[in-house]
Amino acid sequence: MSNPRWQTPAALRRIARRNAAERRFRLLGLGAIALSLGFLALLLVIMAKNGLSGLNWSFLSGSDSTDPHMAGVWGAAKGSLLTMLVTIAIAFPMGVLAALYLEEFAPRTRWIEWVEVSINNLAAVPSIIFGLLGLAVFINTAGLPRSSPLVGGLTLALMTMPVIVISGRNAIKAVPPSIRDAALAVGASKVQTVFHHVLPLALPGILTGTIIGMARALGETAPLLMIGMRAFVATPPGGLTDPSSVLPMQIFLWSDQIDTAFVENTSAAIIVLLMFLMAMNGLAIYLRNKFEVRW
Amino acid sequence: MILSAVLLAVLALGLAGWTFARNKARLLYAGRGSMHSMPVYHGWHFALWIVLPGLLAWGVWSVAMPTLVNGSILADPAAAALPADDMQRAAILSEARAIAADPSVFAFDPLSARLADPIRVAEGKWGTIGALLVLICALAGGAHAWTRVRAGFPARTRVERVVMAVLLVVSLMAILTTVGIIGSLVFEAGLFFKDVSPLAFLTGTHWSPANAHGGDISANFGAVPLFWGTIYIGAIIAMFVAIPLGLMSAIYLTQYATRRVRGWFKPLLEILAGVPTVVYGYFAALTVAPKVRDFAAWIGMNNPSTESALAAGLVMGVMIIPFVSSMADDSLAAVPRSMSDGSLALGATRSETIKKVLLPAALPGIVAGVMLAISRAIGETMIVVMAAGASANLSANPFASMTTVTYQIVQMLTGDQEFNNPKTLSAFALGLVLFVVTLILNIIALRVVKRFREAYE
Repeated sequence: MSNPRWQTPAALRRIARRNAAERRFRLLGLGAIALSLGFLALLLVIMAKNGLSGLNWSFLSGSDSTDPHMAGVWGAAKGSLLTMLVTIAIAFPMGVLAALYLEEFAPRTRWIEWVEVSINNLAAVPSIIFGLLGLAVFINTAGLPRSSPLVGGLTLALMTMPVIVISGRNAIKAVPPSIRDAALAVGASKVQTVFHHVLPLALPGILTGTIIGMARALGETAPLLMIGMRAFVATPPGGLTDPSSVLPMQIFLWSDQIDTAFVENTSAAIIVLLMFLMAMNGLAIYLRNKFEVRW
Repeated sequence: MILSAVLLAVLALGLAGWTFARNKARLLYAGRGSMHSMPVYHGWHFALWIVLPGLLAWGVWSVAMPTLVNGSILADPAAAALPADDMQRAAILSEARAIAADPSVFAFDPLSARLADPIRVAEGKWGTIGALLVLICALAGGAHAWTRVRAGFPARTRVERVVMAVLLVVSLMAILTTVGIIGSLVFEAGLFFKDVSPLAFLTGTHWSPANAHGGDISANFGAVPLFWGTIYIGAIIAMFVAIPLGLMSAIYLTQYATRRVRGWFKPLLEILAGVPTVVYGYFAALTVAPKVRDFAAWIGMNNPSTESALAAGLVMGVMIIPFVSSMADDSLAAVPRSMSDGSLALGATRSETIKKVLLPAALPGIVAGVMLAISRAIGETMIVVMAAGASANLSANPFASMTTVTYQIVQMLTGDQEFNNPKTLSAFALGLVLFVVTLILNIIALRVVKRFREAYE
């Protein structure tokens, strides 16, 4: 600090300028985050302002109706529930088994490379393309009933499976090799090692990924639009093949209504949907914190 | 009816067989090393030999039965009165089938009421035969496996072979899905390109499928305005919002924020990615679009429309922020610590280090992240459906209503559903273009990220 050249007015000015630039840059970063989060807050506040007054028991237990004051969200919620059941029943076992195979057993052949490439790409394919696939295969070719939770669930399962495979592989990769070596050393076969030791240890991670994938599927609208789940459904679906709506679709349908009383319904339905999503993500975070093992 | 009952019966048999075989194998145990496999594997082996042949027979029969039933019906004297036209014939037969399943259904055609009885009889006959066949297959498999419950039999090896086969088949499902997507898109788009020349589709500037009647309809299917709208909204306006905000957020979180602040802000930012797109769409239509219109009127545009490219693009940009931010986060973290330390040691301030050292070093990763974000944005549907509008406009005016590829796919497929007209088929052609473009973007981006990681490892 004693170097006199650093004490000249010109040098001091330059340092002050550089420090000011530093502070500006830092504020810019903070501002970017504040702006993004401010947008999120604005969105939530507007939905709460419009929707909270519409949240009451008759709204939560009713079904769609042409009269906004009679319309409720239960029919759509039940449709979502059935659709998610189909999705998880297919995507979870298949995703876990595929992840186990690719991570633990697969030989490094060209076929397996193709599987990996297609899984990585499927995870990035726009959701509407899965809707086109569902329309062409499940409805036009297989002749399954339109706008049913069955077809919706199948379509969403195809979309969710790659997500589960990718997160599952990461969870399996995180299990240290010493566990496998120990099991193999006491005489377990490869299959026993994987199913008795690796899978249970990786399961919390796989479940976290699955819940996040399911949350994405629950909020998805575009592919279901393709397979015709936009019908007006005034009674909750009784089974997997009945025409039904789902929560995001109900939001979309109500948002199109001209009657302004539906604004309250739409916002209230959005609050319900966001509650579900927050509960699912909360569960995922809880699972991760509770069962995460640091090796 | 009877077929689903027999399916349950096979599964129950398998369960019972599992218990029996395991118990039998337990009795074989005569001290250490006396058996090849543990009793439970004998149980599994036996159960698989019951269930797999049963399921196989069940599958074959479920496919074959409708043909057999149809054959019986057409041999029935009542069927001689069926019209020769295939369509009418199929309609009457399906009505008769509905009556056979539920006699209370009203018959529009007296013929179908007369045919209902033969159908019921034929279904009963073939169903019983099929059920017996399935049971025989299951029991034969079981009998074969029962003789194998011996001390030296390698039940575990056999069971594990089946497990491996199942795992392989499940993994191949991913390829099957990809093939299914490409196959269905190419097939339907092929039907579309029979009527409309691909060149006119990809280079034409006039999009009005509603006017496509009669002879040459190629002129009404020029998709350039849709491509432009998609790029303008998803790759230009949205990126104007997402790149600065996402990048600056990532820089702040990785370079300036304390661990505590980062622990709070990062998950909060990620909530933005978890909000369903239909919620963003509603927000865009309800709140952002009117503000944008008012702003357009205020700067002197006359008669601005409520639906504007700007409203959709802005909201889409916000949705993309977390993607850009987390990709930039990863790339910044991948730059070796020694590089920024070197710059700081030479006397550069933190912001100078970031601008002159970190960002250039992380640039490939950031560019790849932006490409992934763009592929995400152009495939996004609900925001544009709810906020962007339907008119195909080739203009650079952000306040104009503009349409996108995804919007038109929805538009073409949610109206009246005659499947084989060019209007509906055009959705698949658009889907094919969308799929190919996002695929290329993803492949390039993943390549860049991979090479970039390798460079610093």
